[in-house]
Amino acid sequence: MRKKPDKAVKKQLAHIRRVGWVTILPQLIYQGIFGWFPILVAFIIAFQTFRIIGPSTFTGWDNFKIVFSDPLLPVVFKNTIYYTILSLALTFVVPIIVAILLLEMRKSMIRVMMLLWFIPISGMAGIIIWKMWYNVNYGLFNQILSALGLPTLRWLNEPHLVILCLVLPGLILFAPGLIYIASLQGIPQELYESAELEGCGFWGKIWYVTLPRMRPIIAMMLLLSVISKMQVFNEPMVMTGGGPGYASRSVVMQIYFRAFQSLKFGEGTALSVIFFFILMALIYIQRKYFKEDIDK
Amino acid sequence: MLIPEVGRKKFHVRLVIGIITGFLWLGIILHLIPFWWMITTSFKPYYEVFSTSFLPPRHPTLVAYKLIFSIPATARDVSLVYPLWVYLKNSAIYTGTIMFFQIVGTALVAYSLSKLQSPRWSRLLFLFFIGTMLIPGQISLIPRYLIISHFPFPTKHIPNIPFTNIAFPHHNFLNSYWAVILPMLFSPFYVLLFKGFFDGIPNELINAARLDGSSEMGIFRRIILPLSKPVFAVVSYFSFSAIWNEFMWPLIVLQNQKLYPISVQLYMIQRVLSHRGMTTTGTTDPDVLRFLEAGTGYNGLMALAIIESIPVFIMFIIFREQLMKGIKLRGFK
Repeated sequence: MRKKPDKAVKKQLAHIRRVGWVTILPQLIYQGIFGWFPILVAFIIAFQTFRIIGPSTFTGWDNFKIVFSDPLLPVVFKNTIYYTILSLALTFVVPIIVAILLLEMRKSMIRVMMLLWFIPISGMAGIIIWKMWYNVNYGLFNQILSALGLPTLRWLNEPHLVILCLVLPGLILFAPGLIYIASLQGIPQELYESAELEGCGFWGKIWYVTLPRMRPIIAMMLLLSVISKMQVFNEPMVMTGGGPGYASRSVVMQIYFRAFQSLKFGEGTALSVIFFFILMALIYIQRKYFKEDIDK
Repeated sequence: MLIPEVGRKKFHVRLVIGIITGFLWLGIILHLIPFWWMITTSFKPYYEVFSTSFLPPRHPTLVAYKLIFSIPATARDVSLVYPLWVYLKNSAIYTGTIMFFQIVGTALVAYSLSKLQSPRWSRLLFLFFIGTMLIPGQISLIPRYLIISHFPFPTKHIPNIPFTNIAFPHHNFLNSYWAVILPMLFSPFYVLLFKGFFDGIPNELINAARLDGSSEMGIFRRIILPLSKPVFAVVSYFSFSAIWNEFMWPLIVLQNQKLYPISVQLYMIQRVLSHRGMTTTGTTDPDVLRFLEAGTGYNGLMALAIIESIPVFIMFIIFREQLMKGIKLRGFK
């Protein structure tokens, strides 16, 4: 293809590039305004007093000092980290196992099972159903417990239990993950056959062939779920409102309350900048210790 | 295949397969329980809601649905002023508009990066479009709110146009449809999906069409679009359910209830019905009492939840074939 380009080809290429720029121009401007600009702005507002009335002024590290002296800060961080760890421990592996096992079924069975498994429930509906099940007086779980003659629990009203209660819906409200299934289907059959010749059994094949092959996808999904779990908002907001007391208030909820309920935009942004650096540190650590390529 | 094809008749192999099948069906059943619960509960009269649990309703009734649709007539609570269809209409407006722009915008970006730009620019622009995906969204929450509240300036203080005393034109979008729509018009994730697919379409196809004298947009319309139906279906489905379920952003930027999408309104109603009414026994709240007398509470909530879930479910039915095919998409490396 690297022949000397004559004039007509050159002209056509220039035209193609021009069309290429025209088609992305609006999105380019949009991504500038709503994608990158807010991130830049956050680092400015974090250093300002942002009042509703009157101009904002720069105040140095004041906002950060206020955030750090807030007695709620360790609480919300503890809640968020606890939620993330618990939720990863309980719910991250299940879709992977399901995806691996699902592909062992007969072709027709895979179809039926996947259709059933992908039936979606809207996010809010799922959360509300679980909230109803947790109800102390009438909820399903306490009904089951008392039917079995066990002492009933206070579920969402119990500070020690509330975070676990927020995590549990993830155990059944998931889909096996198109991404895992796609990556599993990309594994060449010959690998399994040669593993078999070398005497690998069921577990051996999972350990030596499947998991190493899925590693990049698992690493990526782990990264994405750590980041999204750390920013949890909907579940605690709807199920508990952050309670009892502050036992289930997450960091993003704290940012929300600071900024949009107390109207302290400067302090809220300072907190979200701090949180930003923590999350970026997590991303960095993960990228460093989970090298992505396996075919070395 | 973890289990070799040949030995599948042996007893212990069949046992393993049986256990796996059982495990998977258990998962599916657990997954479907909330649906069963939601549907049966919504058809129960209030006195059966907690007494029959999992059983189907003994006296099926539509009272919950009737009450939900007659909300403004039966309730005095401030969060129940407007009839339900207002929120469904709002959700439809938000979802339709945002979906359209997201799909068209990201498909064009992905096509341009994949087929039209020079390799060097393509890499740079890719980072520009995808980069925000890797940055935790919470950081731009407050700045976006401020930008929306005096668009396009994130400050209270609007600078003057140089050499005049006139402030730059700006607009407060808060409490309007635009407050929800504007910040969501583009989503980097779909660029990733589209680009992965377009990269797999051979360049020869496009070059041949160019030789035939097709315009660039003509090629996109006549050659790329028909080929990319699966990826468009997957993106449409993802985009639809993401916007329909969006809760946090509308909650932040909308104070006027008339503009709430159904997801936020569901949150508001469940606060009225469950938080005040059912967690404390012996409530005296007149609205809750009226709801309970009329035979609704959690059954009404479940009726609402079903109404909210139906559009997502319809989308699933429409796109299911393409979603199943979409498994073979090369969206991710």
